[in-house]
Amino acid sequence: MGNAPESADVLLSAHAVAAGHGDVQVCAPVTLRVPAGRAVALVGPNGAGKSTVLQTLVGLLPALDGEVRFGNGPVDERQAAFRRAVAQVLDDEAFFPSLTAREHLLLTARGHGVVEPEETVISELDAFGLTDRADALPSALSSGQRRRLALAAAFVRPVRLLVLDEPERRLDVDMRRALAARLVRDRDRGLAVLLASHDAELVRTVADDILLIAENECRWLDPAAATDIVTGHLPP
Amino acid sequence: MTAGAAPVATRERELDGAQVRRLTSRSAAARATTTLGTRLLDAWSTAASTAIALAMLGGWLASVRDTIGSRPPTPGSALPGPLTATVAAVVALAGLVAMLDRLGPVSASPAAAAWWLPLPASRQGLLRAELLRVAGTCAAVIALLSLPLAMTWTDRPSVGTVLLAVAGAAATAAGLVGIVALLQTRGATSRVAPGAGAVAVAVCAIATVAAVTAPLARSLGHLRPPHLPSGGVLWVPAAAVVAVLFLVLAERGLGRLEARTLRVAGSTAQFAAASVLSLDTRDLGRALAARRRRPVARRWRFRPVTRAWQAVAAADLLLLARSPWQLGQLVVATGVPVLAARTDGLDRLPPVVWGGLVVGWALAAVAAGHPARQASAAPGIDRLVPLSAAQVVAAHCVVPALLLCVVSGTSGLLIGAGSGSALAWAALGLAAVPAWTAAAVRGGYRPELDWSGPVMSTPMGAVPAGVGATLVQGLDVGILGSILAVVAVHLGGAPSWGLVVGQLAWALTLGAGAVALTVRRLGEPRT
Repeated sequence: MGNAPESADVLLSAHAVAAGHGDVQVCAPVTLRVPAGRAVALVGPNGAGKSTVLQTLVGLLPALDGEVRFGNGPVDERQAAFRRAVAQVLDDEAFFPSLTAREHLLLTARGHGVVEPEETVISELDAFGLTDRADALPSALSSGQRRRLALAAAFVRPVRLLVLDEPERRLDVDMRRALAARLVRDRDRGLAVLLASHDAELVRTVADDILLIAENECRWLDPAAATDIVTGHLPP
Repeated sequence: MTAGAAPVATRERELDGAQVRRLTSRSAAARATTTLGTRLLDAWSTAASTAIALAMLGGWLASVRDTIGSRPPTPGSALPGPLTATVAAVVALAGLVAMLDRLGPVSASPAAAAWWLPLPASRQGLLRAELLRVAGTCAAVIALLSLPLAMTWTDRPSVGTVLLAVAGAAATAAGLVGIVALLQTRGATSRVAPGAGAVAVAVCAIATVAAVTAPLARSLGHLRPPHLPSGGVLWVPAAAVVAVLFLVLAERGLGRLEARTLRVAGSTAQFAAASVLSLDTRDLGRALAARRRRPVARRWRFRPVTRAWQAVAAADLLLLARSPWQLGQLVVATGVPVLAARTDGLDRLPPVVWGGLVVGWALAAVAAGHPARQASAAPGIDRLVPLSAAQVVAAHCVVPALLLCVVSGTSGLLIGAGSGSALAWAALGLAAVPAWTAAAVRGGYRPELDWSGPVMSTPMGAVPAGVGATLVQGLDVGILGSILAVVAVHLGGAPSWGLVVGQLAWALTLGAGAVALTVRRLGEPRT
């Protein structure tokens, strides 16, 4: 068990990163590497700081200490190159009230310069079970459908690093399994995945490396122990 | 989930910021239900309402100016009118700067933050239109507000003079937007709102002191007062050039803005807009309230507190001590009645003087009611102390009463300074304290507007029945409770001690009744 070894294709790396809000650190410092073709999962109890760590690693929050690097430079979400390479689905869903599901995805696909945006959007709407709701406004979608729409937006454009915060939330069992299979397939094709999750099956299926986030220490886990973690039992 | 190839993209096909905005607005417009005719009608209705409001304001200002001109000067007035007008303008601009800082001024709505900012499009291109929209809106609003002032500043203003004044006001507003936006792009906005507040408080305090200090008033009176420029003066084009310069510099720095900064400002702006539309002034206050940026330096230990009601009062005092905006508001509130009563011209109009009294004391009551508003928003805190609802509300009256004694007593003392009846004026101010204390607490525990009940159709749209009574709840008690003080101002001269005693009795009676009503409503079950 442990994190991926140093390699030339490490996309995201964090060294002794202290994540928090204001001056308050929420968990122990985090050190990890996310290379291409590998999935790293963050696990831990509610309130451990997983979401805060994710937001810090993608530059949405400043690190209180330590260093986060994307490729050869520091993480900076203001750089277009970072935004081209990284897709994130965190816990901040918001939609344009007057745009349909299809139009949201077309905006993302066209914005990223996808060559065949309409076909790509149709494919992802089908993959996420939203074909029948493609022309519905966000207010007419259920919370699960809105969640699927947010996830679909991460796949209608090229991505090298996918960051997900509890992607299983508001998804039914079948959709969770389908998402896990999709992540495994794309990971095997070179996608780097960083996710925080409470879903044992998702973590066991997708993750190559599992990092326990806790107040006093962050450590790499054996996958078997990780299953206990996500179901609420902390290891001794 | 059907497997498929990863999407292929090219840089050449990426949309730039303007294209992203256009695509979004075009998609939204495609299903708009309003027709061109409806929008023209709405625009016409808005323009007509605005024109009527401005005409009424202008007419009132003109009549005030004519009345001032027809009455002899009041002995003892110290401040020249243009100086007080400058103070008012500085305070208003400081308020504008503080509000711009709280709202961004450049921001991204939650939807824009989620769907635009992650695109590879240049952030500068995405946000340029937002910067121009804010600058244009501020310039237009300030221009409209300055129009009646420009038209009534002198007896016979020329068209050129009025246009220059309005254009100058608009350029100043646009320039302020540019300056605050430039500071935002440099990450240097932590001091903007506190600085603007400090300037407003300092200017008001200096003017208040000058109003009662003849030598200082004379020296300030020698300062060149602002006057409307005649045609051909270059200050307006210069202001416009400076505004454009700052806006261009700000626009070039838009790419430095971080997503989290834009998202926070956008959420604040959306919250504030929703509060305005729902007529929730307390939520509006929360949206515009300054966030604590520094950790608390000193921790209080509350050693003198030995009883439950003292704990409530101590908590209220601590909250206010850590609320610089409310403290600044109290300073301004002390000065407003003094400036109204001792400015040459305004002091000849009793309605203006008692209006200044009421506005100043109302400002103080709103500031002093901050702990009660916080308690109302988190009723669980009040339930922690072993006191009945009546005792808790009474405990929340302690700190506002003390603060209002300072504010109204000081303002009364300053109004009467040099007239030989300063103590009587101070006593009159103190006599109104019970009513304004009740106003502070009653306003803090004001109920929310009930949008689920009957609504009335108004030019502003549908509003809940009784909205007026709900919004002024609190201030109504203060205004009614100051009626004898208003009478004293109208009568002129030193207030009699009989009037002071009558004011105190009336304020105590009204205040006690208002607090009792508040306690009774708190005890009613929510429907």
